[in-house]
Amino acid sequence: MSNMSDTSDMNAPKALHRKPGLFEPRAIGSIAPATRFVLYAVLIAWSAFVLFPIYWLFITSFKDAAAVNQGPYFIPWVDFSPSLHAWRDLFVIDYEDTLRAYFNSIVIALSSTFLSVLFGSMAAYALSRVQYAPNLITILFFVLLLALVGVAIGAFGVDWRLAAAVGVALFFFLARAVGNLYQLRLRNGDILFWIISQRILAPIVVVVPIYMMFQSLRMLDTHLALILTYCVINMPIVVWLMYDFFNTIPLDLEESAQLDGATMFGTFYEIVLPLSRGGLAATTLLVMILSWNEYLLALFLSTTRAQTMPILVAAMNAGERGILWWTMSVVIIVMIIPVVILAVILQKYISKGLLVGAVKG
Amino acid sequence: MTLGAAANNGMAKPISMRSLNKYYGQFHALKDLSLEVEAGEFLVLLGPSGCGKSTALRMIAGLESISSGELRIGDSDVTHVLPKYRNIAMVFQSYALYPHKTVAENIGFPLKIAKTPKEKMEAAVRAAAKQVELEDYLDHFPGKLSGGQRQRVALARAIIRRPAVFLMDEPLSNLDAKLRGNMRAELKHMQSALGITTIYVTHDQIEAMTLAHRVAIIKGGELQQLGTPKEVYSDPANLFVAGFMGSPSMNFIRGTLAEGRFAVGDFAMTAAGFAKTARATLGFRPEDCQVVPAGEGAIDAQVYAVEMTGDLVLVTLDLNGSHLVVKMPKEFDIKPGILAGIALDDTQFYFFDSDSGARLRAA
Repeated sequence: MSNMSDTSDMNAPKALHRKPGLFEPRAIGSIAPATRFVLYAVLIAWSAFVLFPIYWLFITSFKDAAAVNQGPYFIPWVDFSPSLHAWRDLFVIDYEDTLRAYFNSIVIALSSTFLSVLFGSMAAYALSRVQYAPNLITILFFVLLLALVGVAIGAFGVDWRLAAAVGVALFFFLARAVGNLYQLRLRNGDILFWIISQRILAPIVVVVPIYMMFQSLRMLDTHLALILTYCVINMPIVVWLMYDFFNTIPLDLEESAQLDGATMFGTFYEIVLPLSRGGLAATTLLVMILSWNEYLLALFLSTTRAQTMPILVAAMNAGERGILWWTMSVVIIVMIIPVVILAVILQKYISKGLLVGAVKG
Repeated sequence: MTLGAAANNGMAKPISMRSLNKYYGQFHALKDLSLEVEAGEFLVLLGPSGCGKSTALRMIAGLESISSGELRIGDSDVTHVLPKYRNIAMVFQSYALYPHKTVAENIGFPLKIAKTPKEKMEAAVRAAAKQVELEDYLDHFPGKLSGGQRQRVALARAIIRRPAVFLMDEPLSNLDAKLRGNMRAELKHMQSALGITTIYVTHDQIEAMTLAHRVAIIKGGELQQLGTPKEVYSDPANLFVAGFMGSPSMNFIRGTLAEGRFAVGDFAMTAAGFAKTARATLGFRPEDCQVVPAGEGAIDAQVYAVEMTGDLVLVTLDLNGSHLVVKMPKEFDIKPGILAGIALDDTQFYFFDSDSGARLRAA
């Protein structure tokens, strides 16, 4: 045993000693001063280029109509005298509309993101770990009966309890009687493609049916309508991203945890969840931004009570007084803030190389 | 055979498998495997890749369901019991270390799950780490360790719980040749020191020979032979076992057994007591024969290649297109192309039925 450590140290990973790549991050102290100067110059120039629009937005929010129209003016107190009139318009005079839209956006984006990430990642985990083989004919029966029950309730006024009971009974009867005669089965790949295919369809195609659906459910202009719709359009993205991510976690780790005595929930909580933090964080951020920015469906499904921030921004463009650049800037600034906060919180989880050392040598 | 004696005292065997079967759809992956493992035994499941040996191990672990048959661990029937209730530990081929946990957390994971008090757990982790010489690496993450160190973390995680049975699935196959030799000795030492019943899967017959108390050779999902390394080496049950064990592998010559003689072409040798077999195979090991001048041995063949391995010389001879290998002392020298004879040992040869592969024994 005494010579063991020597031998294995010789076998230490070679990756630690290789030369770093040209663009790989390294300690700033290890870079030559001249190179460092050029590097900083380039980085500062690029940052200025990228950050300038945000600066522009920021100063515009303090301009009045004259300062915007006679411009371009860049430096407050020198080129123009800043005023808080746009901020006052939105947060003092019209504060109810602004805060309601802000609150709506936050509630709708957070809840739809939470729900779609929760259910989407559960679906992705199941698809990556369990082999499903549902009978195609059974699924067709299910869809057909669902449609028939819907028509019976909607068009013929059949009592919904009766229709549902008959539908369920018929489904089990047909699945038993005919289902076993046909052995065409769907596999995980089919299910995954079906889920992702929901996203291939552009929302504009279904926006009128969705509108009518919520109209007949009397759910137009409610938070729930937008939350549910966003869940449906974002879930495929979550499933797609998380499926790939879960596939990178070796099954050995979960089997090992099971043998070590962990329950299924314990395995998920101790092993799978910590390892998928990066993927979950990235997916959450992406889905959150998609919901936060969503305009088309919000335009159709909300009018006043459930109106979200993108609608408010667009409204600044449609007033009878022309485009209100200053108030639009204010709205955009307050819209950016939560996304930046979320990105800062999540970015530390979005790191690569978390799985190094899990398996193999 | 002291192991067998201990088990006859009415104690339940640590593991007994009765007619275990595994089907994947139509594919019969494991056929009627019946095995009993003695307390403290090191049993190796040996076979070529895809032979069902890993499937058998995973069935014992509970990671694969058992299609039919019965599996008992100790006194209890665990055929349909979840892995965590089987009191087993397993070392995976990939080590399966938890990359987000330190070495100490990895080793202590089974105890953490079992809700062991913190102080007791720390002491146990330290003891297990000491056993595999990893005390200085407890704060490291697996990603920073070498292959051999990762292997030892996996071992420590397995021994910390003192399981009833230790399962190992090709644990050495990811290591380089030198380290593998070291770890092999290490494993053997640790297993006998801890006295934990172990089932070990490998395709490497050297590992099987060196580590095992008993070897179970599996091919195509079927148990071919079960015995001590010495038994399976010197008394193979069939053609497959004879060819699989030993390196270089056993030499085979196909011919006919009739009237107490084995004949092929113009070569014949006495084979008294063997039943008449139209298609028979003669087998002899490279170390049980010698290269002699042409005409003086049992068979004449042309020298095909001569390889010096350091401690001995491997002479390959060509007999009508099939190759025979003879191990000769390192001083031996012969030029390729020369016609030479092969002298067989009087007792060290075997006959097999060429069609069924079964061993033929003298009446």
